Amino acid sequence: MGSIRDAGRQDWAAHLAAVAMHADRAAFASLFAFFAPRIKAFMRRTGESDAQAEELAQEAMLTVWRKAALFDPATTGAAAWIFTIARNLRIDAQRRARRDGAGATPAATEEFEIDDAPLPDIQLAAAQSSAQVRSALAQLSPEQIRVVEMSFFEEKPHTEIAEALSIPIGTVKSRLRLAMKRLRSLLGEET
Amino acid sequence: MSIAHHPSAPMVAAYAAGRLDFGQHVAVATHLFSCQHCRNQVRAAEQTGGDLLSALPPAPLANDALTRIEARLAEPDKPPPPNPVATSDIPGLPSFLRSYRFDAWRPVAPSLEARAIRLPHPTPTRVFVLKARPGSRLLLHTHKGFELTCVLAGGFSHEGGHFGPGDFDIGDSAVSHEPSIDAGEDCISLVAMQGSLKLRGLLGLLVQPFVRL
Ligand SMILES: [Zn+2]
Repeated sequence: MGSIRDAGRQDWAAHLAAVAMHADRAAFASLFAFFAPRIKAFMRRTGESDAQAEELAQEAMLTVWRKAALFDPATTGAAAWIFTIARNLRIDAQRRARRDGAGATPAATEEFEIDDAPLPDIQLAAAQSSAQVRSALAQLSPEQIRVVEMSFFEEKPHTEIAEALSIPIGTVKSRLRLAMKRLRSLLGEET
Repeated sequence: MSIAHHPSAPMVAAYAAGRLDFGQHVAVATHLFSCQHCRNQVRAAEQTGGDLLSALPPAPLANDALTRIEARLAEPDKPPPPNPVATSDIPGLPSFLRSYRFDAWRPVAPSLEARAIRLPHPTPTRVFVLKARPGSRLLLHTHKGFELTCVLAGGFSHEGGHFGPGDFDIGDSAVSHEPSIDAGEDCISLVAMQGSLKLRGLLGLLVQPFVRL
């Protein structure tokens, strides 16, 4: 299963490279066929209307086309990169919806650029860790994955996550802490 | 790495998922600015996001969706907004934050000053920079709501341990503490707070009306 997913990931990275280098429309059409309906599903799950979800999926794919050259396969997976585009667009859309009239709100993208002056070895460390991150993730229990999944895709506070899994809130926190701790030790860092 | 206190794992996951309100986002981003550790956690969480996205059952788009978007591919991209100018001289803050408006320092309580940060859009969480004199002791307090603190300079201790630059502290209604500030240097922290502080004890009752946070 892991190898099939890795193959898929490689494939999408190559499609993104083709879009970036040759404005390859066939590669874009494949990306669109796979990701657009899933981005729409993501938007639906996080509470957007059908029309809004469709609109955001379109906008996300247009961003994929325009920013493909910024995708760096050494530091992230193609699906993860597309996920961050969808995430940022969703935040922007929510801000537009809630705006109290006071001018334009800045785009979320910049707010996620946290290492604006990266040390020379950070890029390398990121590349090394992504493989370790993946293998670490493969070892998480289905329950742990479920907890992360709920905080990703559902508009639920942690108390409701606890209710849904019928475990006390302290357990949700400690399980996630445990999962992250495991991740950290697998990443070769001290905790 | 000397950073000993990190945001909780669910909080890091929620940051990566784009689920934190902007005030909390600012506090976590400030920690990430100095914590490679948690930046890796964010990357791991984003990879999970990608995996989960790939695994979602697709929600079909309109039949002509691809045709419509292909018609737009040649459109020029909107020019990016000009880079905001950094206005703050406080070190240790992520660059997007340094371009926001900072109010002037104002006294909050004896040996305590604060400087509010004007976020560009409304959020239930207020964000400010807090400066405490070296060697001072803050009053025993609990929280209505919660308080996220990321140390920028100096340090403090309470029963949860010692907190230095980059360290992240979470206070909520379950926590009651009486931090004491390290000697020798001002302690400067970024604080994201929802609700208000509740000071305990007789002294708290007496000074509460004068503490404006
Ligand atoms: Zn950290």
